[in-house]
Amino acid sequence: MSNFESKPKLVVVGNGMVGHNFVEQLCEQGLQQHLDVLVIGAEKRVAYDRVQLSSYFNGAALDDLAMTTAEQYAEWGVSLKLGATVVGIDNDAKSLLLADGTRESYDKLVLATGSYGFVPPINGRDREGCMVYRTTDDLLAIEAAAKNAKTGVVIGGGLLGLEAANALKLLGLKTHVVEFAPQLMPVQLDAKAGALLKAKIAALGVEIHTSKVTQEIVDGETGRLRLKFADGELLDTDMLVFSAGIRPYDNLSDSCALEKGARGGYAVDNFCQTTVADVYAIGECASWQDRIFGLVAPGYQMAKVALGHIVHSLEIAEKHHGDFLGADMSTKLKLMGVDVAAIGNSRGSEDSRFVELMDEPAGIYKKLWLNDEGNVITGALLVGDTSDYGTLLNLYLSGHKIEGSAAALLLSGDAPALPKSNNDLICSCHQVSRGSILKAVADGAASLGDIKRCTKAASGCGGCSASVQKVINEGLSAQGVEVSKALCSHFEYSRQELFHLCQVEGIKDFATLLAKHGKSHVHGVGCNTCQPAAASIFASLYNGHVLSDSRDQLQDTNDAFLGNLQKDGTYSVVPRIAGGEITPDKLIAIGEVAKRYDLYTKITGGQRIDLFGAKLSELPEIWEQLIAAGFETGHAYGKSLRTVKSCVGSTWCRYGVQNSVGMAIELENRYKGLRSPHKLKMAVSGCTRECAEAQGKDIGVIATDKGWNLYVCGNGGMKPRHADLFASDLNDAELVELIDKVLMFYVRTADKLQRTSVWLESLDGGLDYLKQVILEDSLGIGDELLSQMQAVVDSYQCEWKTSVETPELRARFSEFVNPQAAPTAAALPYQRVRGQRIPAINLTPAAEEETL
Amino acid sequence: MSWERVCDPSALPVGKGIAAWVAGRAVAIFNLGQQGVFALDNRDPASGVSLLARGQICELAGELYVCSPLYKQHYRLTTGECLEEPQLSAEKVAVRIDETGVWLAGA
Repeated sequence: MSNFESKPKLVVVGNGMVGHNFVEQLCEQGLQQHLDVLVIGAEKRVAYDRVQLSSYFNGAALDDLAMTTAEQYAEWGVSLKLGATVVGIDNDAKSLLLADGTRESYDKLVLATGSYGFVPPINGRDREGCMVYRTTDDLLAIEAAAKNAKTGVVIGGGLLGLEAANALKLLGLKTHVVEFAPQLMPVQLDAKAGALLKAKIAALGVEIHTSKVTQEIVDGETGRLRLKFADGELLDTDMLVFSAGIRPYDNLSDSCALEKGARGGYAVDNFCQTTVADVYAIGECASWQDRIFGLVAPGYQMAKVALGHIVHSLEIAEKHHGDFLGADMSTKLKLMGVDVAAIGNSRGSEDSRFVELMDEPAGIYKKLWLNDEGNVITGALLVGDTSDYGTLLNLYLSGHKIEGSAAALLLSGDAPALPKSNNDLICSCHQVSRGSILKAVADGAASLGDIKRCTKAASGCGGCSASVQKVINEGLSAQGVEVSKALCSHFEYSRQELFHLCQVEGIKDFATLLAKHGKSHVHGVGCNTCQPAAASIFASLYNGHVLSDSRDQLQDTNDAFLGNLQKDGTYSVVPRIAGGEITPDKLIAIGEVAKRYDLYTKITGGQRIDLFGAKLSELPEIWEQLIAAGFETGHAYGKSLRTVKSCVGSTWCRYGVQNSVGMAIELENRYKGLRSPHKLKMAVSGCTRECAEAQGKDIGVIATDKGWNLYVCGNGGMKPRHADLFASDLNDAELVELIDKVLMFYVRTADKLQRTSVWLESLDGGLDYLKQVILEDSLGIGDELLSQMQAVVDSYQCEWKTSVETPELRARFSEFVNPQAAPTAAALPYQRVRGQRIPAINLTPAAEEETL
Repeated sequence: MSWERVCDPSALPVGKGIAAWVAGRAVAIFNLGQQGVFALDNRDPASGVSLLARGQICELAGELYVCSPLYKQHYRLTTGECLEEPQLSAEKVAVRIDETGVWLAGA
């Protein structure tokens, strides 16, 4: 082609997922240098992920759904015209007529107009409060309508209907699903699977009405609208969403000779060419052999085929990209938290052979359709457990004979392990094989995000994310890379990564953290792994009261009630006795409180006193009295500083060279209240005899005749470790500065529940690295660590003082809503041993929590 | 089955549990707002101690559970089934809320 000729003009009508994919494939091959590309989209937004629409109601921003940006199109040199509708094609003149009266010429035309939500012809369907669920504009309309609604109905119990129902549920509406067929998802599931899905979704509080034909929508009495069903029943609702299937946008055929398929859609051949020369159709608006493919994966395949054919016909490329010969419609998804998958001919046929498993208590149903010999899978249905989807899909696609019993395939984990092949298809949306992912990992991709970018795997429906992650991990392990462990099933991040995310983005509450960085979830509550980890991060960063701002719900057992839970359900109370120094008056005050509440009293290994057997409702009174006597909380319940143990030091000891008690009290008062990944213990010894056993502590300080030696990351307990000497002969200020930095670096970088000893060993470079960071400031974060610690120190409050003085917090310790109705008999018997009260019952032996 | 009124709806904290006495036994009520209100016998089947109301609410594989504060077994809010030890099960108690109050199924 000579430079004087203008480039052929390619127009893509439609900027949905498939239209965008077409443009993306084109630009990634650099074909825009040979073509003038114009994209015309009817919606005002650039292409977004329609599959994930309901994630908007789970906290995702509309921009999070975007698959690209206008800037990206500009960078590619692709013209983009959004909010513009094509109304006619004049193929003789090779020109398009737009709704605003303008025209656009083309040499090649690709129709990727997609489909629209079908609204059944029911009287009253145009009433206010009736809407569809298809576009981001629909989302916003539904959100606005939901503000004034308590109930919502979705008409349509298929895949899209259940997605819409999830959206209404996330908006807080009492949600109903109305389905015409006798079961949910009648296209993919059989009756048993449909019934199980119904039970699971009903358990989430969504009401399912099957075999219901809606005849009319009229004014309601208990809601704004009323649905009248053919069987005479009525259902009132404030709003209604139609999600009863989709229909192709194929209205351009009127203006030219575009033929349609039997079920609508522009008829296309194996190259996605329509019946009009130079016009192609891809995605949901195309009908291939009278079939419409309503999934993204086949749409992307069509885009590839059409693009290949276009560039071949324009002699830009020598070969075209093969044919479109239909597509596998297998799919795996999570509907309102319920795992559902359908493979091949998932509904089978009456005379087909099959094996099935119904595990009613576990809520699992699996069915495999087989060929006449019973040894090849022709289809499959999975509800409640889709962990074998990849294995079964590969068996189905490959047509391999099943070795041994087909029924064995129904049992997860017991299925015969298939040899892993590099040809195994991991992402069916983008046709990415295990081999491609492993190659990308070998080439340097290390995270799911990297793989999504370079192979597209897991960027379609996202259903294969876990499988892709597994292959990435395999690839990384093969390279000898240690695979990072996700916090729990709700977060793919480590505690350290979450800490940084919270710090950088200023996240202060769990709901925001889960919405922005969590994985798929239904209820948005997290679990007993991620909740306390998040609470600890918020406390380290912002140091507010651990029970305020709904953070009480995140706290683990002991933090939740500011006491150490004992095996009989009572708590122990540990006031702070800094450095182990206590006046006789304070000792008497503790004794009086213990006597008054009949508390078992014991001296701890951390030089303080533990009072056992306090009932939940007694805690505020007990603390009120201790606080009045000058005590404050000892944080024995927290992942925080417990005690700074000391020997008596130079004040009394003949050998002491420094004031170890004074330093211990200073350190304890400085770091009390610091929330950390795990508990922290310290000790200060007044001379080298080391009576305080400082080398067995997270932070150990040993006096020298010139000052202090600092030891870090020791541990007693289950896995003893001697602390390492970190710096010598420090003065008081230098000592405190180094401890500030070491502790804050630990707080920022350790994994959840990782003691300093394990943390040090996990640091790449170990002690030498820690010395570089702290002593030489190799990361340049020294000042930041100091100011962060100072902020924690400055914002200290006694959590118990605030709790007894603040009525809302104090109310938390009322165990019963109706204490007046309590029975008179004591619930648990006690016995007296050596003059004190202990539980008489012998319950399950506990893994005793250390409470120093 | 008789219903017993235990408190005003506003007395139930949202997002966590609280215990209530009904017919001489303690029942844990979990008010999860839009996700619903659930009730289980307050007795932790694993330890025999009455404290399920103090447990953390967790979502595991899409289901809601309360995590026992003592030994961390998870009991499903809708059924009382124990996730870790299937032979254990917290007794489910019927609960109902209307404008007149919070009602629990009595003896």
